[in-house]
Amino acid sequence: MGLESPAWTAGVKRFSHEAMATVFEVQALHPDATYAAQAAHAAFDLVDRLERELTRFLPNSDVGRINALAAGQSTRVSPSTMDCLLVARQMYDVTGGAFDVSIGTGLPSLELAADESRVRASTGGVRIDLGGIGKGHAVDLMGELLEDWGIEAAVVHGGFSSVLALGAPAAQEGWPLTLSDPGPPIRVLVRLARRDTALGASGVRKGGHIVDPRTGKPAAGRRAAWAVLPRQAAHERSQAGCGGPRRAAAAAADALATAFMLMRLRDIGALCAASPGLEAWVLPEPARSGGPPEALHFGTPGSS
Amino acid sequence: MEDGKLARGPMIAITLLRVLVGWHFLYEGIAKITSPSWSAAGYLKQARGPFADIFRWLAAQPDLLAAADSITMWGLTLVGVLLILGLFTRLASLGGIGFILLFYLCNPPFVGLFYSIPVEGSYLIVNKNLVELGALIVVLASGSGVFAGLDTLVHAVLGRKRKTG
Amino acid sequence: MAGDDEKDKVAVPPRPAGGRKLDRRDVLKGLSTVPALGLFGYAWQKQRQYEQAAAGTEQAAAAGDVQDVHVALLGAGAQGQVLTDAMLRIPGVRFRAVCDVWAEYNQRRVVNQLQRFGFQVNAYEDYREMLDKEKELDAVVIATPDFWHAPHAVDCLKAGKHVYCEKEMSNTLEGARAMVAAARETGKLLQIGHQRRSNPRYLHCYRHLLGEAKLLGRIVTVSGQWNRAVTPDLGAPERYTIPEARLKQYGFKNMHQFRNWRWYKGLGGGPIVDLGSHQIDIYTWFLGANPSHVMASGGQLYYDPATHEWYDTAMVVFDYDTPAGPVKAYYQTQTTNGSLGYFENFMGDQGTLLISESEVHAAKVYRDTNAPPWDEWVQKGYITAPKLQEAVEKDKAAVTDVRESVSPDEHKVPIVLKDPYHQPHLQNFFDAVRGSATLNCPPEIGYESAVAVLKVNDAIEAKSRLSFTPEDFAL
Repeated sequence: MGLESPAWTAGVKRFSHEAMATVFEVQALHPDATYAAQAAHAAFDLVDRLERELTRFLPNSDVGRINALAAGQSTRVSPSTMDCLLVARQMYDVTGGAFDVSIGTGLPSLELAADESRVRASTGGVRIDLGGIGKGHAVDLMGELLEDWGIEAAVVHGGFSSVLALGAPAAQEGWPLTLSDPGPPIRVLVRLARRDTALGASGVRKGGHIVDPRTGKPAAGRRAAWAVLPRQAAHERSQAGCGGPRRAAAAAADALATAFMLMRLRDIGALCAASPGLEAWVLPEPARSGGPPEALHFGTPGSS
Repeated sequence: MEDGKLARGPMIAITLLRVLVGWHFLYEGIAKITSPSWSAAGYLKQARGPFADIFRWLAAQPDLLAAADSITMWGLTLVGVLLILGLFTRLASLGGIGFILLFYLCNPPFVGLFYSIPVEGSYLIVNKNLVELGALIVVLASGSGVFAGLDTLVHAVLGRKRKTG
Repeated sequence: MAGDDEKDKVAVPPRPAGGRKLDRRDVLKGLSTVPALGLFGYAWQKQRQYEQAAAGTEQAAAAGDVQDVHVALLGAGAQGQVLTDAMLRIPGVRFRAVCDVWAEYNQRRVVNQLQRFGFQVNAYEDYREMLDKEKELDAVVIATPDFWHAPHAVDCLKAGKHVYCEKEMSNTLEGARAMVAAARETGKLLQIGHQRRSNPRYLHCYRHLLGEAKLLGRIVTVSGQWNRAVTPDLGAPERYTIPEARLKQYGFKNMHQFRNWRWYKGLGGGPIVDLGSHQIDIYTWFLGANPSHVMASGGQLYYDPATHEWYDTAMVVFDYDTPAGPVKAYYQTQTTNGSLGYFENFMGDQGTLLISESEVHAAKVYRDTNAPPWDEWVQKGYITAPKLQEAVEKDKAAVTDVRESVSPDEHKVPIVLKDPYHQPHLQNFFDAVRGSATLNCPPEIGYESAVAVLKVNDAIEAKSRLSFTPEDFAL
């Protein structure tokens, strides 16, 4: 995903930080550059803390401990990890298993006791990798932190694949964003102006593939997919008892984009129809003959 | 041990093989029985390949799943004990072959199918399940329980004609 | 199968029908594999015992048969939140109160987190008020700025509470001495937060590799570092700015100083104290001696000296007179480049131990080629087998095989910490409160460590080699 650059963008201050094997960026509109930098770095400290909890490469991270659970054992995780797992479980359910942080090793065997932030494994051998949702989760929490700091207009993203548009620049309908064919050749497919909305992207470069957790087979036929979810819609979902943290919009969009690479088109359409505000774009692989493919659009923009 | 029957050496080797496979079955069964929350559901849900849909469907039926869990853990245990003791060896071998065949078909290492998490070893069509299945065919064919095992006594007590001896 | 297999057999000699007498040979053959079942039973029982022992501690904890310890957190900043995360995983820790002068932000955040775990805690801005009102408290965990450690710890001890206090024990030796005195006077426990002292990896290396196996031989030199990339000054959300009067009341000039106290003289001790203290404590622990001399070079090389009063860079050499002989130990910390992170490297005439709290380095030992073989320690599981070096078959007629150069044998230390870094040290503290353990870092050790570390800043300022006398470490 990209960010357009008209004249007012001169006031946007950009800060970036390496974490979770990608680059996080905060683009903030704020008159005080030092203050904006401090806010951005507080957000980056948060990402580093989240990475230590969510990485599967450290044996003493939350995920490291979950992945070492034998049948019947349990471990306590941080509340934020629990939130991330709750969203992951919810996305597993709504996508019929197309988004599965356990990659087919049995997510349902992990019991999530949210009240005491405890994860229990009813069978051993469940291995989770939060790579498909962790960046979105981090972006959600960065957004909340920046709002706490009084930054009202900003774009936060983790490696461009998980984006949160907070507020909007003055006199703008929303932050201008583009969805592009990953190529080659790279070309802009869709232009959007969104505020208080999370966007997730998933795609494959030539020769790459995504493994369908439901079948273990590489999925084919799609080049990229996007999920767009207003924060308000995510908020209403959590109010409606769907679980998860207050505004897990970017985490959900991150997960859904991955699922949209795999789900049947009519299932994507049905999910968007049933979820107010949720939109999806799916870019098929180009046909052997004919021109470049166009992205298929599902859902209707939420009112925000 | 003449007249087309296997000689003593190979029979000892096959008996050893029988005990080893039996040991493995017995522990697989007991480990499941003693793990309070074990269920085949996780394994079934990871099913791959041509029969994946059947296994997944099975995992989604609570009643059938409960039955499958019991059959698996007690069946494995029973097969294990019988193989070690050499009691009703042929029946036990057939049962063991049945179990392994199901495990194999649940996650067959066929061309183009791969497990989404790393497993130890590298397999193409033949995996350790299939090798163990082959071992049980050898046990089945050799009548090892009559050579060394309680089948010897069963035969004698039932007064049937014994194998060469 | 019992009766039906005769039909696939060939050339079965006919036997008289109607039963046959069991002979001894039949019985022996029939029962010949029964012992395997016995062996299985034995092995299985052993396996069960092992599993129960492994799960034992966790199950005991889950069963709730540990004595509750009622705890207050004093200081809810970044470090206080790290300690809270770790304590939430320790059975029997009951949070009762949180005290932080930043009521608008940090205090509220930790209170909210604890509420999510079902702890209805009282929040305080003034720790004296907390000590007055919270009569049920058994222990206070202190993670306030260094210059508050002594008053906080002394008052808590005198109020009859056990205390876990973050390092550095105090920013002054007077403060540290007052803390030792208060602990001795009250008979209450005081654990100083040098958490590596409870880290299973460090304990294993200390007890087994250095103590029992003496793998390194005679340690002559040590090096270590904590390098950190540039970090911008910390800010605070505008809407949560602390009123100036309250800042002054608690010893801070302004919000910037409140957030960046580590850089200010009289408040913190700079990077050598924040970072170096952990590792210089390990030097002393592993060498079994306090330093005799220190020389250091450092300064304000990079950051704005007005807001960074302490040295951003320090390069230090300690002399030790250990029971085994003299040792020179180098240590550096700098805050402008994170190259190689942090580790301690102990070098003896028979081997090298590279150890770190971080998983990047973890712990590895390298055997000197002339050292006696380490096979015994590999077999005992103290260290892993080395990466293979001698793969080429020896030709008896040749003296050596000429080939690509090999690196020295590298063994890993197979100890993995599965808990957050501070959890074992806190666990040790709570066990000691319950009377089932002794402190891994009592105030006397914290004091010795403070004496060695605080003198580095003196040496940088004095630009000369300073000596320690035994009296410096005496209490």
